[in-house]
Amino acid sequence: MIELDRVSVVVPGIRRDDPGKVLLHGITLELSERRIAVVGANGSGKSTLLRLLNGLRQPTAGTVRVDGHDTVTAGKQVRGIVGFVFTDPLSQLLMSTPVEDIELSLRATVRGRAKRLERARQLLDERDLGHVAHQSIYDLSGGERQLVALTSVLAVEPRIIVADEPTTLLDLRNRAQLERVFEGLPQQVVFSTHDMGFARTAERVIVVDGGRIVADDEPGPAIDHYVRLMA
Amino acid sequence: MNVHASLLGLYQPQDGWLFRLGTGWKYLLLLAVTLPALFWWQWWLTLGSIALVLALLRSSGIPVTRALNVGSMLWILLAVLVGYQLLTFRFEQAITSPGNVLLAVLASRLLTLTTSTPDLLDALTVGLRPLRWVRVDPNQVALAVAIMVRSIPYLMGSLADAREAARARGREGSVVGLLIPAIVGAVAYAQTTGEALHARGLVERSADSADAGSRVRVRR
Repeated sequence: MIELDRVSVVVPGIRRDDPGKVLLHGITLELSERRIAVVGANGSGKSTLLRLLNGLRQPTAGTVRVDGHDTVTAGKQVRGIVGFVFTDPLSQLLMSTPVEDIELSLRATVRGRAKRLERARQLLDERDLGHVAHQSIYDLSGGERQLVALTSVLAVEPRIIVADEPTTLLDLRNRAQLERVFEGLPQQVVFSTHDMGFARTAERVIVVDGGRIVADDEPGPAIDHYVRLMA
Repeated sequence: MNVHASLLGLYQPQDGWLFRLGTGWKYLLLLAVTLPALFWWQWWLTLGSIALVLALLRSSGIPVTRALNVGSMLWILLAVLVGYQLLTFRFEQAITSPGNVLLAVLASRLLTLTTSTPDLLDALTVGLRPLRWVRVDPNQVALAVAIMVRSIPYLMGSLADAREAARARGREGSVVGLLIPAIVGAVAYAQTTGEALHARGLVERSADSADAGSRVRVRR
């Protein structure tokens, strides 16, 4: 369970008389559904909201708790529970090849380099990525990169996955493939997207506009509200 | 984006003897083949050392063409160095100066082409253990080095992108037009890399030093 209690995020201004910019205004939410989509225009606060959920961004006011752990005071525990998938997998992949990147993730949980490498290869095989295990991450297709990034996150078995527009940079085929992978995950998944088809696969859709939650409902009514808002 | 031209190359598992040699020995080998040429600065020693490194790589199944595939940027830099030395009539230095740069890069490839990043990380962590005495976490330093190696092709790609963008805007000769976007891109890249480290819990993790492969425990 993720709980946000009157959370605001403010970016301070550069000058003394500049009050700064409010990115999120006093948001209170309880996120318990298995699939939750967050939709909104560019700059609406979607990414800020998602980044709060694993402590990448800290609230200026209010609290964010994941399974009772405060994201500010218990960041380590929170990041053990919440895995984060970035829009651009190249931002997320830290090693030169997929197998090495997953091995890096496994350093937290698996003892012994040989065991970690074996497990990394196994995880890549499970996603039909065994053939790219030793390729440069720069030589992979966009879809392969995003799948490797997701595999790296899943390697440490988080209970919750937060994904910030994971399909935005993908073509239609890779997008469909990744959506199928997300559908099959046993974890709770909170994702942001501009793809209304993908948003409709969620049980709950939250619409963000100007740093505020303007709709929070089942996919049908929430997406209708968003479409009217953008018209 | 021309991001594939990697200065240090990419490890691909093979059966050659260098692949089986311990990482510490490879570090020593790297120093042994580079230091004499850098110390004595003789053209014949530089050329001989380059030939030796290529032969060592070849004996482990890495062909000369792959060993010399260090990216066009380095070859351009070497050509500039040769040209400058020839123009100033320093013929011997036209070999030693770029030759020693090439030797250092090729020698580093003895390590990077034949050693996986996890092996490098563990070896570095062990080698950097004394840093704990000055309260520096060797795991974090080793991780920083590994990320630096991974970042080189990205940064070279950023430069190539900036060059193409400058060409598209008709500002091909502008150094500022080339460097500013590349620097801004590098800063943004550093920021996203930091976020990724944070999001994946790698910063806290290396402070815990839970890795058994390195057999290092770091005090908090």
